[in-house]
Amino acid sequence: MSAGTDAKEGMRLVYHRFSPFHRFNHYLVMISFFGLVLTGLPLKFKTSYWSQVLMDAFGGVAAAGFAHRAFAVVNILYFILEGSYMAYFVIGRKGPIFDDDSIVPGLKDWQDMKGMFRWFFGKGPKPLLNRFTYWEKFDYWALFAGTVLIGGSGLMMWFPEATTRVLPGITLNLALVLHSNEAFLATGVIFIFVHFFSAHGRPESFPADEVIFSGYLPVEHYIHERPLEYENRLKAGTLDQVVRPAPSKAKRRMFGWVTGIVTVFAFLVASYTLLLIIWPLFF
Amino acid sequence: MGGDLNSARQLAKEFTCSKRAAAAAVLAIVLAVVLASAALAASTTTLLPATTNTTAPSGSDQAAGSEDLTTRCLTCHSQEYLGTVQDDKGTQNLYIDSAAYHDSAHGLLPCNACHTGFSHDPHKMVNNAEFFRQTANEACRNCHDDQFEMYKQSYHGTLSRGGTAAGEKAPICIDCHGTHAIQKVGTLEYKQSISDVCGKCHGGREGHGGREATFLDTYHGKAITLGRESAATCVDCHGAHSILPVSNPQSTLSEANILPTCQKCHPDASKGFSTFLVHVKPTSTKAPLIVFAVAVFYLLMIIAVFAFGGIHTLLYIYRGLKDGMYFGKGGGH
Repeated sequence: MSAGTDAKEGMRLVYHRFSPFHRFNHYLVMISFFGLVLTGLPLKFKTSYWSQVLMDAFGGVAAAGFAHRAFAVVNILYFILEGSYMAYFVIGRKGPIFDDDSIVPGLKDWQDMKGMFRWFFGKGPKPLLNRFTYWEKFDYWALFAGTVLIGGSGLMMWFPEATTRVLPGITLNLALVLHSNEAFLATGVIFIFVHFFSAHGRPESFPADEVIFSGYLPVEHYIHERPLEYENRLKAGTLDQVVRPAPSKAKRRMFGWVTGIVTVFAFLVASYTLLLIIWPLFF
Repeated sequence: MGGDLNSARQLAKEFTCSKRAAAAAVLAIVLAVVLASAALAASTTTLLPATTNTTAPSGSDQAAGSEDLTTRCLTCHSQEYLGTVQDDKGTQNLYIDSAAYHDSAHGLLPCNACHTGFSHDPHKMVNNAEFFRQTANEACRNCHDDQFEMYKQSYHGTLSRGGTAAGEKAPICIDCHGTHAIQKVGTLEYKQSISDVCGKCHGGREGHGGREATFLDTYHGKAITLGRESAATCVDCHGAHSILPVSNPQSTLSEANILPTCQKCHPDASKGFSTFLVHVKPTSTKAPLIVFAVAVFYLLMIIAVFAFGGIHTLLYIYRGLKDGMYFGKGGGH
C-alpha cells in the first residue's frame, strides 16, 4: 500500500515518527553529505574523467576546496545540534536509554538480524521490528562515528600548520588515510550498500519513503512496519502520544513533492558518484 | 517567366558581387600572410644573431635564415619512416614531428642552434647516439649557462660526469626537458608533466621506487592532477637544476633546510609540519606502523561492510520479489 493510494482513500490517522528538529537535521546531513562527496571524492579518484568534469564545473580545485569547507561547516552544525540533543536526552532523562524504543543497540538487534536472514531464506516469519531496526541503528551510529572521524581529520588538514604545532607531522599522514578511507566507506554505505536501499529501496517503502521528510506515515503502514512498538504502546496506553489525525491534503501533497524531488536528486548524485568511481577501472 | 528572368539577373548580380568579394578576400589574405611572414622574418633575424653567433657556422647558412635552414632539415627529417639508422646502441629514429617542434619553446630556433656541427645538406652521417648526448649539454649551455652551472654542481650533474654505471643513466638536460618538443615553462601542462619526468627514474618499484605514485596521492599531487596550478610538484621541494640528495646538507630538504622550503608556500609552518611524510604508501609494510595499521584496518572494514551490506540488500530484494512485495498486490502489507 503506497502513500498515493492512502491519499486517495483519505488518510485518517498518521503515526508521528520524526520531530521537526530531526527532519531539519536530516536536511542538513543531506546537504552537507552530497556537497562533501561531490567536492571531495574527485580528489580520491583523481584520474577519473568525471572527476575532472566535476572539478571544472565547480570552477577548479581551489573553488571546490572552498565549497568543501563550507559544506563541512554545515556538517559541524548538525553534529553540534544532534550532540546537544543527545546530551539533553540523556542528562534531562527525556526517555529510557536502553529500552525497546531506544536507538542504542541491544541483544534484540542481534536476534532480529538472525530472524531477518531466516526470513530471507523462507525459514521463518519476518521478525517483529521495533521503533528502530538494527540497520537503522547502524546507519545512525556509523554516521555519528564517521562524522567525528572525518570531521576531526578534516579539521586537521584544514589547519595543518596549527595541527603540527602541537602534534607531529605523521598526524597529517594518518588524517589523510583516515579521511579518505572513512569517506569512501561512508559513501558506499549511504549511496549503495545500506542507507538508500534500507530507506527507499526496501520492498516495504519502495520507491521512496516519505517519513523523514514529512515526519509521519499512515498508521496502517506503521502497524505493519513497527509491530512491536505498536504492541508495546497499545499495552502501555501511550499510542495517543504518537498517533494523530492526518494533516491537510495540501500538506500531504507538498511532502509528496519534496520526497519525489529529493529522491530523484539523491539518485542522480549517487549515480554520478558511482560512475566517477568505476570509470577509471575501464578507461 | 518574368520571375525566372529576374531571379537569374539577381543571381548574376550576386555572382559578380561575390566574385568581387572573394577577390578582395584573397587579396587581403595574401597581404596578411606577406605582412605576417615579414614580421616573423624580422623578429627571427633579430633574435638569431644572439643565439647562433656562437654555434651556427657563419656565412651562407646564416644568410639563408633560420626558417630556410629548419625547412631544409625537415625536408628529410619530417618523413616519418626516414632516418632510421643502425648505430652502436641499436636503431635510432631520426624523425622530427615538425608541428610539435614549431609549437615548442624552441620553435623559432634553427636546428643548428642545438645541433652544432651540422651545416650542409646532405650532412655527414653521425651514427652514434652518444655524440648527440655529449653535444646536447654543451648546446644548451650556450643560452642557459646559469642553469647549466647549477646542474653541474647538482647530484645529477656530478653523477653524469662520474663515468660509473649509474653515471651512464644519470640525466642530462634533455632527459628531463625533452628535445624537440620542449615545453613552455609555467603552463599547467608543464607542471603536470613534472612528476612524470621525475617518475621516469624515480617512479618504479625498485630503488627510488614509487616516488611518483606516492606524490600523486598527496593533496599536492591530487590538486595538480585536477588542474590546480599553484600546487607544489617535485621540483618545488627538491629543487630542479641544483637538486641534491636529501642526505646532503646542501639539499633543500636537508635537516636544516626543509622548514624554509615548506615555508615558501606555508609561511606558518613549524618544525612539526616539515615532518609530514610525502612519499608513503599507506598499504605498504614500509609505511610507519600506525599508518599501515589504519590503512589495513580500513581496507578490511570496507570489504566487510560492503560485502555484508550488499548480501543483506540482495537477499532482502530477493525476498521482496518472491513475496510480491514490490509489484502486485502489496503482499507484504
